[in-house]
Amino acid sequence: MNGLMQSIWGLLTTSGVLPNALVRGVADALDADASRTEPAAADGEDIRQTRQGDSDAYRRLIERHQAHVAKILWRFSRDRAIHEELVQDVFVEAYLSLNSFRGNAPFSHWLARIATRVGYRCWKEKARQKDAEPFSLAEWDQIADEKEAIERIDADQAAGLLHGLLEKLPPRDRLVLMLRYIEGCDVAETARRTGWTRTMVKVQSLRARDKLKKLVERSGMELI
Amino acid sequence: MNWEEKFMLLAARARTEEVPQVNVVPEVLTLLSSGQAEPLTVAENLWMWLAAGASAVAVPAAVVAISVYNASMGPLREIVNSISWAM
Repeated sequence: MNGLMQSIWGLLTTSGVLPNALVRGVADALDADASRTEPAAADGEDIRQTRQGDSDAYRRLIERHQAHVAKILWRFSRDRAIHEELVQDVFVEAYLSLNSFRGNAPFSHWLARIATRVGYRCWKEKARQKDAEPFSLAEWDQIADEKEAIERIDADQAAGLLHGLLEKLPPRDRLVLMLRYIEGCDVAETARRTGWTRTMVKVQSLRARDKLKKLVERSGMELI
Repeated sequence: MNWEEKFMLLAARARTEEVPQVNVVPEVLTLLSSGQAEPLTVAENLWMWLAAGASAVAVPAAVVAISVYNASMGPLREIVNSISWAM
């Protein structure tokens, strides 16, 4: 079927019946689609080889996905040493449970779930030790309440500020706010990443937002 | 601008942040090849489930045994035992 479609497409493009812009657009879309399916196919093959004990295949998987995992975990720890350890933990944990990966969803989604779990565990340990870095709401207040002023702030300064602010909340509230508002995940994606139900995500989001509101309204006071 | 709008704008700004590059390939492969991180074998898994099951049964059994023992050793029970000839 694909062969027939390709032949028809070839005839149409070479005969000049279709406008050039349309031909280019379709070609671009096909290329993009191919680039999306290529890693998935490569992942599948590498996972199969890793299960058979090929460490080179796992090296390829790590190389392909470590930037994505690092990006997720940077929201959980902004300390470079801890961040790197967490990325390592994700790939060790992924290797140990590779047999449970059924391939229903892309490998990157499965890794994202593990990364979220590893990051959340790190937050819970940190919360138990109560060694949150000092953060004063003065930093929040110093930023002018104007759109233009906020858009001029460095991205890492904005991320650091939100990281410090959310650190004042319990890990559960912090997780849902981070995923929903900083990562920009929708309810379904948040549910998938956390393993919660959608209702639970919605309820937790509301509670966490209320806590955050109370927190920022206590402006200038010593926090928690 | 309320706090929430400010938060959203900062979050949008934070999303564009560049993440530090990492290369964990050597560390992960070293860790895995050293055998420090090995998946559980089928036998180990079986033992683990067996241990979990045994603990799940043992704890309620201990609670029941303690409560039965306490009930049978209460002061009222001792009195009843000591005057059992009268019954």
